[in-house]
Amino acid sequence: MLKKVLLSLPIALAVTGAIAAQAPEDVLDRLVTKAGNPAYLTQSPQNRMMMPDNPAYMVADDGEKLFKEKRGPKNASLEECDFGEGPGVIKGAYVELPRYFPDTGKVMDLESRLIYCMKTLQGFTDNDQQIKKRHGNDSDMMKLQTYIAMQSNGMPWNPPLSHPLEKAMRDAGEVMFYRRAGKMDFACSTCHAATGLRIRASVLPNKDVPEEWTKAISWPAFRVGQDNVRSSQHRLLECLWQMRYPNIKPGSDASIALISFWTDAARGQPAILPDMKR
Amino acid sequence: MSKITPIAAAVAAASLFLVAGQGTAQQAPAATQGAAPAKPAATAPDATGVKRPEPLKKRAPDKAAPQTEVLIMDSQGIRMAPANVSAQMLAEYLILESAGFDLSQATQEGTTGKDRLVQDDIQKLCSLGKGQQLDPKAAQKVSEIATASIKYPEGGIKLGDWKKGRDLAWSGFGFRTAHNPDDHSKQQPGANCYNCHQLATDRTGGTIGPPLTSYGKLRGNSEEILKYTYGVIYNAHAFFPCTNMPRMGARNILTQEQIADVMAYLFDPASPVNTSAMSGMSGM
Ligand code: HEC
Ligand code: HEC
Repeated sequence: MLKKVLLSLPIALAVTGAIAAQAPEDVLDRLVTKAGNPAYLTQSPQNRMMMPDNPAYMVADDGEKLFKEKRGPKNASLEECDFGEGPGVIKGAYVELPRYFPDTGKVMDLESRLIYCMKTLQGFTDNDQQIKKRHGNDSDMMKLQTYIAMQSNGMPWNPPLSHPLEKAMRDAGEVMFYRRAGKMDFACSTCHAATGLRIRASVLPNKDVPEEWTKAISWPAFRVGQDNVRSSQHRLLECLWQMRYPNIKPGSDASIALISFWTDAARGQPAILPDMKR
Repeated sequence: MSKITPIAAAVAAASLFLVAGQGTAQQAPAATQGAAPAKPAATAPDATGVKRPEPLKKRAPDKAAPQTEVLIMDSQGIRMAPANVSAQMLAEYLILESAGFDLSQATQEGTTGKDRLVQDDIQKLCSLGKGQQLDPKAAQKVSEIATASIKYPEGGIKLGDWKKGRDLAWSGFGFRTAHNPDDHSKQQPGANCYNCHQLATDRTGGTIGPPLTSYGKLRGNSEEILKYTYGVIYNAHAFFPCTNMPRMGARNILTQEQIADVMAYLFDPASPVNTSAMSGMSGM
């Protein structure tokens, strides 16, 4: 495990230069200092200690292989996939998602864009395991997402809002964030609009403190309690489950509106990728 | 949400795009041509009957998006509908019309996912955005609706079994749906109190609500305090309009008998809530 990290780190340094030079734990440490040790950022010293050995690195290694491998009915790699910065550019792409893509006319998040490329470039369909299986360390989805997202470690969140649809989705996401519904009358803001509140022992991140919120939205992250790397879409699902809401379709506009808003709320703060969460 | 209906009907099963100004609008169709098939045309109930939505000029213009127009894509092709679509309307559309949520998902109470998402009066009045204050009139209304909803037990409020109440207070099980619905035939739904409150000190409670440690010891057990506490558990909005506390009785999360058990946990002198040491607690 440790060996693997030591091996991959110099390569990452060589390839991506200065920004990758700060490990995710360094990014976190600086945020902790800047924000004055908020409970959410400091609640798990064990996780902080384990970050250099984050199991997500192994998942990302597999993701890199999958990314570069020629696969699918069209026998193509994902190296031509345009995540918004041009074909093949993944460095810094994730912190500028969700964004509007003219080729689909939609605002897309990392997961939906990745699936779009796996379909158009590689020829996979919704019924293929490669796309269908969204969750778990052993899913292509999580391997690829972790690898791609990591290329934005330490970079500031900067989702574009220049296209009207980007703005509209972000604004609708804001309304959804404060909209109370469900058996328990919960809105996202019930739990995520104040600092230091807890649900039992879990410290809740405050959407209005960007230094806290950047950690909250830094997915994929290894969920220690679940022994798996998890995505933004998975976290959303878990909160909606706690809220007693019905199931949400992954990649739906509703999910992307919420993710557009939550990413905008962390604007300017550095991403912690991959992160380690409780 | 009757106001959303014209638009919602028009965009059912269609992709909805918002485009500001004519310039962008003209580019958008070309840019999106290849995209139509990517959107499954699955839920197109009456795409042929889709009418151009009525202009919504009568609505107060939305400051956030002054020049927004709706671009509709469906079997009839791409077109524009002049409208000030507010973030509010788009959110309602995304939640209730866009097939983002599983609206037909069965709930434990025998309703559907849609029923969970459609807001009742209190939920609507209490969906306050950032920095938005509840105005006194709305607070009054919320409190009135809540007060009217409270059904007190016939024959007065009696305390139940604090041990049952403890189990309920601790349990966060119940009514969760999404990807992993709770099976109420295997376990009864809990009351979630510990998610938000510190009660006894033998386990860690949340801090969304105030600590209730030594509740009975501090408050006594007068008729008045019993009635107040029953009311808070049944529908706390009667006392704290737009509180974050769920309406345990009014929303049928707990039965009257279960509320009596939870109340015993709060009031019974033998309950750990009242026998726990208060040290380290911030008090009430
Ligand atoms: C009933 C309380 C509750 C509600 C309502 C709620 N969440 Fe959460 N949320 C949590 C808890 C608990 C965690 C885990 C925090 C931890 O482990 O420290 C969490 C975690 C998160 C995280 C990741 C932070 C982390 O460390 O795991 C994000 C992002 C998030 N929620 C977004 C949302 C959004 C968006 C909504 C509305 C759709 C929402 N939440 C509604 C309780 C809630
Ligand atoms: C989602 C969080 C949440 C849950 C779950 C919850 N409460 Fe509350 N509760 C609150 C909040 C917040 C308040 C404070 C009222 C306010 O000012 O809005 C409160 C207030 C109270 C009060 C009034 C306290 C006082 O000082 O008079 C009592 C009593 C109470 N809750 C009991 C319970 C019990 C019993 C349960 C479980 C059946 C419970 N609560 C579940 C959030 C919650």
